Parts: sequence; structure tokens; C-alpha cells
Amino acid sequence: MQRVTGTAFRHARNCVYVNGVNGSVLSRRYSVLPPARDEEEKAMLDRMLRVDHAGEYGANRIYAGQMAILGRTQTGPLIQHMWDQEKKHLEKFNTILGEERVRPTLLLPLWNISGFLLGACSALLGKEGAMACTVAVEESISEHYNSQIRALMEVDPERYTELLQIIKEFRDDEMEHHDTGLEHDAESVPGYFFLKTFIQAGCKAAIFISQRV
Amino acid sequence: MAALIRGLRAGKAFRGLASVAVQAKLSPQCNLVRRGIHRAAVLRLADDFKSNSVSPPSYHEVHTAGESSSSSTQGDFSNTAAGQDYGQPNTSAFCVRSYQDQSGEHDEDYETEEQLQARILTASLDFVPLHGWSVEAIAAGAETLNLSAASTGMFNNGAGDLVFHFIAECNSQLAKTLAEQQNQIQLGQAEPKKTAEFLRDAVDLRLRMLIPYIDTWPQAMSILLLPHNIPDSLKHLSTMVDDIWYYAGDRSTDMNWYTRRAALTGIYNTTELVMVQDSSPDFEETWAFLDNRINDVVNMANTAKQVQATGDAVVQGLMGAAITLKNLTGMNQRR
Repeated sequence: MQRVTGTAFRHARNCVYVNGVNGSVLSRRYSVLPPARDEEEKAMLDRMLRVDHAGEYGANRIYAGQMAILGRTQTGPLIQHMWDQEKKHLEKFNTILGEERVRPTLLLPLWNISGFLLGACSALLGKEGAMACTVAVEESISEHYNSQIRALMEVDPERYTELLQIIKEFRDDEMEHHDTGLEHDAESVPGYFFLKTFIQAGCKAAIFISQRV
Repeated sequence: MAALIRGLRAGKAFRGLASVAVQAKLSPQCNLVRRGIHRAAVLRLADDFKSNSVSPPSYHEVHTAGESSSSSTQGDFSNTAAGQDYGQPNTSAFCVRSYQDQSGEHDEDYETEEQLQARILTASLDFVPLHGWSVEAIAAGAETLNLSAASTGMFNNGAGDLVFHFIAECNSQLAKTLAEQQNQIQLGQAEPKKTAEFLRDAVDLRLRMLIPYIDTWPQAMSILLLPHNIPDSLKHLSTMVDDIWYYAGDRSTDMNWYTRRAALTGIYNTTELVMVQDSSPDFEETWAFLDNRINDVVNMANTAKQVQATGDAVVQGLMGAAITLKNLTGMNQRR
């Protein structure tokens, strides 16, 4: 984990140093992914990175929506802490997408609005509502990351060491958020089961679409 | 010797027949039909052998010009010509030459079908001003490599394959040049350009690659717009635009990714259309047009930025006013 953050930092500094214009030499040296073997592999990795980026983007918007409502309450700092971690995740995926030349999903504006609305609406149900939303979303995201880890391990664990490490680290963060949500009475919100099922169905649909569009 | 000459003549006859078969085909789905025609051609060839009455089809006359111009390069291969009838590429005879055309590494005397196709198409480009973007140009190109004109049967998409090959070559050439420029900038041997200037130069560079074929380029553009070619056309276009933006230093991962590429695609395509109709010396009008379009985009981006900044300022002002109002009226709940 130390090593990953170290590389990320060096990577970021390098981008600044060369003023955003990154050479093939540099981008290869600091690349998270191995150079793609064929079209098929490239398409697979593109799909994965695209949906991960979209997911982190959506999560950011959800926390932004929650903060807009609950920012000044006692829960504010807690949500802010989780949001900050999500911001780091998004930043990492922004770097990877830029370097690997992956097209971001076309539906970002949709995730922008719907994520913010979901966050704000759940926060309007109170602190517990916001936490229930967090539990539902983070559970979906960690499930999704787990399935990606499985898929990558199946192909070649040696080849994608670095990417696997990043995804594992992020997955652990998401699980932490999930547990935080449960600790803060997520389950005490009326209609918890219904709310969770509804949000998770939405997340699944979003993942399905983001992989393709 | 007589057998050698007979073999040569039979090869020519088959070459002509196969070319006709290729021309008759309408789409890749006709493969079965084409195979049938090929088989029929082979059968007829066998008959011709028996009756020994080979009459070269008139179609072959078209290539005499191309062949005569390349006769000097053909000379050293004339001995092997008889051995490579029936459109079968005699790979071992040409491996030396293939190394010059392609920089990729491959085995001593092995050449994949793609490599052979690329080699034929590269040779065909010389005949484009003469024959246009057509199967005839490919046939003429194949003949300079001492291959049968029947080898055009390898190209399911005929003229489309030729155009795509040219575009792909140009795009990779462009990417290579841009990568070199970038490496120089990183090594400190060159000054980084402004984005607008970079885009202008890149589009300029890419369009200049069309100049040798400018007279026939409208034909190529129409081939690119045929319905079954559109997916590949878009793919090549988007690859080129993505390359330019990547080397221009664009790392956006939001909607800017789309707007930037759309803007550059628009600039490239309109400038290409202007270029096709441009008769001024060294395409001066085209480059002036390009400058104006780039300036338009820069202005538009600046305007968008200003509008956004103004919007943000207005929103902040309104929020401030609302809070002040709340405080004045004593409605602020949080004390």
C-alpha cells in the first residue's frame, strides 16, 4: 500500500513537472497497466477502468449531495472524511484514464445529477437515511470491485499486479465506509430494506450502462 | 522453354479472369459466389491448357502502362514469375524486399497475409493518380511486386481497403511525428507549443499528406462514406483526433473529452472539404481557413470560461445576499 501511494505521488509530480504533456517514455514507466497485448485485452481493461471511473465519480456526487444537506450537522465531518477518500479514488482513476487513453463514459452528466439527487434525497430522510444510502452504494461498489478482482485474477494475476493492488485498496476503503454506515444506525431508518434494494438496483443498472456507453 | 512460356500465358489468363471476378463481386457476403467463379475459372483454365488456345482478356491491357513503368524492378524476378501462377504469393522470393517496406520483425522467409496485403497496398498507392482509388490500382500495384493481379482477391473491400490502408499509414505517420516532437520537448530541445498552435500544426501536417492524391481525394472521401465503410471511417477518424489531443497534452476525463474531440473533428473535416476545392497556390486558402476555425474554437472556449466565471460570481453574490437578508429579518435559525 505504501508503495502504491508512493508511485501515485511520483506520477502526479511528474505530470506537473512536464506541464501536462507526458511522453510515451514517462507514461510507460509509471503506467499502472502493462502495454495491451491485443485489441481484446485493451477493450476489457477500457471497460473496467471506464466503469470504475464512473462509479467513483457517482460516489463523489452522492457525498456532495449528502454534504449539501447534512454538512453543518454533527454527521458532517464523518461524511466529509468518506468524501475525501472518494476524491482520492477519483483522482487516481482520472490519472489512469488520461494515461491509458480510455474514453470516459458518455453518461457522466447523468451520474452527476442523479448522484447528487440521490445523496441529497437520502440525506433529507435524516442522518440514518444518508447512512443507509452509503451502505447500499458502498456494498454494490465493493461487490463490483470484487468481481473485477476475480476477473483479473482469472486472466493473469502477475500481469495486473499494480492495478489489482489499487482496486483492492479501494475496495477496502469502500468496505470501511459500508461498516461506518452500519455503525451509525443505517438499519434504523424506516423502510431500510426497500431503500437498500432500490438503490442497489440503481447501482447495478448504472454499472451495466457505464461499461457499455 | 516452351513449357515456361505456356505457364506464363496461363498465369496471365487466370489473372485476368480472377480480376473480372473480383470486380463483379458486390460485397464480402458474395464470398461463396466468388469462390464459385474462381473454381469455374480454374476449370476453364484446365480446358484452356488442353486446347492450348489461351486468349488474354482485354482487361489485362489496362495494366500494360503500369507494368512497363515498373519493368526495371521486375527484371530480376522474371525467372520466378512462371513459378507463381494462380495468385499464390511466392513469399520466399520477396522476403528481402518486404524488409524494406515493413519495419516489423518477422521470421526469415515468412510473411503473414496482413503484411503481404500492406505491401501490395503500399505499392498500389503509386497508381492511384492514374487509376483512382480502385481495384485497378491495387492490381497494378500487385504487378509491380511481380504478383498476379488476381491477388486483388485478397481484398474483400477492394478500393475501400486501399483507402483505409492509406489513412492508417498517414495516421501512424502523424502519431509518430507528434511523439517525436513531444520527446524533443521533454529533452528540452524544443519549446512547447500553445495548444491552439499545436492543433493547427497537427491538422496542417495531416492534411498535407493528402496533397499527392488531392485530385482523386474526393473519390476516396466518397468511398469512405459508403454505408459499409462508415464504421471503419469513424474509427480511423477518431483514432487520429484522439492521437492529436493526447499529444497536445489533453488528459481530461469529463465531458471535455467529448467536446474537444468533436471540435477537432469538425475542424479537420471542414478544412478537408475546403482543401479539396482549393485551387490557390500551396493551398493558401485552406490554411487561412484552418487558422480561422482554430481561432473560432479558442474564442468559444474563452467565452465559455467567462460565462462560467460570471455565473459562479452571480450565484455567490445571490447566496451572500440571501444570507444577509435572512440575518436582517432575524430568520436565521442558527445562532
